[in-house]
Amino acid sequence: MNVESSSVLEAEDVSFAYPGNGGTLHDINLSIYSGEKVGIIGPNGAGKTTFFLLACGILRPVSGGVRLFQKPVTGREFNPQAALVFQRPDDQLFCPTVYEDVAFGPQNMGLDAKEVDRRTWEALKGVDAASLAERPVHHLSEGEKKMVSIATALAMHPGLIIYDEPSAALDIRTRRRLINLMPGSAETIIVASHDLELILEVCTRVILMDQGRIITQGDPAVIMGDADLMQAHGQEKPHSLIPHYYQHQH
Amino acid sequence: MDPRFRLVGLFVLIFAYSFVSDFRLLGAMLIFTLMLFFISGLPARFIVQKLKLPSLIILVLVLILPFVSGQNTLLDLGFISLKQEGLHASGVIAARFLCIITTVMIVLHTAPLLTHVQAMRAMGLPWIMADMALLTGRYLEVLGCDLGRMQTAMRLRGLNASRPGLYMLRTRAWLCGSLLVRGLERADWVYRAMRLRGYGQNRTATLQFRATALDMAVLSAALLAAGTVMGLEIWFGL
Repeated sequence: MNVESSSVLEAEDVSFAYPGNGGTLHDINLSIYSGEKVGIIGPNGAGKTTFFLLACGILRPVSGGVRLFQKPVTGREFNPQAALVFQRPDDQLFCPTVYEDVAFGPQNMGLDAKEVDRRTWEALKGVDAASLAERPVHHLSEGEKKMVSIATALAMHPGLIIYDEPSAALDIRTRRRLINLMPGSAETIIVASHDLELILEVCTRVILMDQGRIITQGDPAVIMGDADLMQAHGQEKPHSLIPHYYQHQH
Repeated sequence: MDPRFRLVGLFVLIFAYSFVSDFRLLGAMLIFTLMLFFISGLPARFIVQKLKLPSLIILVLVLILPFVSGQNTLLDLGFISLKQEGLHASGVIAARFLCIITTVMIVLHTAPLLTHVQAMRAMGLPWIMADMALLTGRYLEVLGCDLGRMQTAMRLRGLNASRPGLYMLRTRAWLCGSLLVRGLERADWVYRAMRLRGYGQNRTATLQFRATALDMAVLSAALLAAGTVMGLEIWFGL
């Protein structure tokens, strides 16, 4: 595999601090390759969301640099190749109707009205939300808002989708729909979540972060199966990796 | 109906209504507005509900004006007197207000806000103003819902709204402050979300409007009504 050409996201010695705060991220070095499904775990305040905002160019690093699809992220240009699904859908959805919100990204890409319409319906159908198209966004349930948020990202046909806490506040059924949606997608995916079972099911690599640093990365089952490592960084070994007295039926 | 024609008709009618001060024409205006209301098919309760809050604001003016404005006394009660000019001004203000607000409500609530904003955009309104109008409409409702939820939470924790004095004033100030801070934080995140989806790039319009003969006829009727009312006002004033 030509690693250089298939690199989707690269961070080199990235450090960042919010004004009036201590360092939030310290010397982050990371490469994510095309087609990978990468999970990022760590306690609250580990710097996961900040890293995502840096990766998309919303924030600018104090030192170091980020490259998206081999191009430096400057924060000045619109890059529809990378989409971020925010933790709270209310922060992401702002148009009066679901259709308008999903169409917003493709419209800004300068596509013609027909293509905008096609992509909007495709994305809505992709997350099983076509029936919500004419509904006012603020009248949706949390689960519906989350699926529509994902559709807003999918409609831009990005090469990379970053999910920040995608399963937060979702019911069992919607969470399952989300988990089923992720592994089959062609896009490179980065997921930050406290839902370790979701990471285990979806991701092929996991990165453990704590206090603004990458602690370790590797196979999800190996990293998350290390109870001492997990405990040292405010995490728990996922239930499914703990040997059971009673075997599951399937 | 083509929303562009509706909006033009609305502005023309508002202009004509604000021009009228003759009582005969004010009566005709009220009848015309009543006709519009019946044609719209909106429930009476809905319009009354929408008029309630703005009416309270104008009510103070309408009640005070007959006693403080003008020279010719109609009724002298000793410490206070009813003035002819003030009474006339009150009637004019009340009738104009009722006609204008009812017409605006009819036009705005018989099609989605989004359609109207897109119509304004199609008529040359800059994107930024169209977006501001949309976001204002959208988030006023969201803030209203937030306020309702916060008030419920306060009541559940024993807030006594009838308690007088500084306690309620301070609580209301906290409530407003909290809504403001939440609004600012949300605005910041929403702006980030908008930038990530290319806000500020050249945008494709989603709705294409096409006027029909009926649109032309209705707009012509509105223009004719407005022109007639204004012409008669000038005529009566001579």
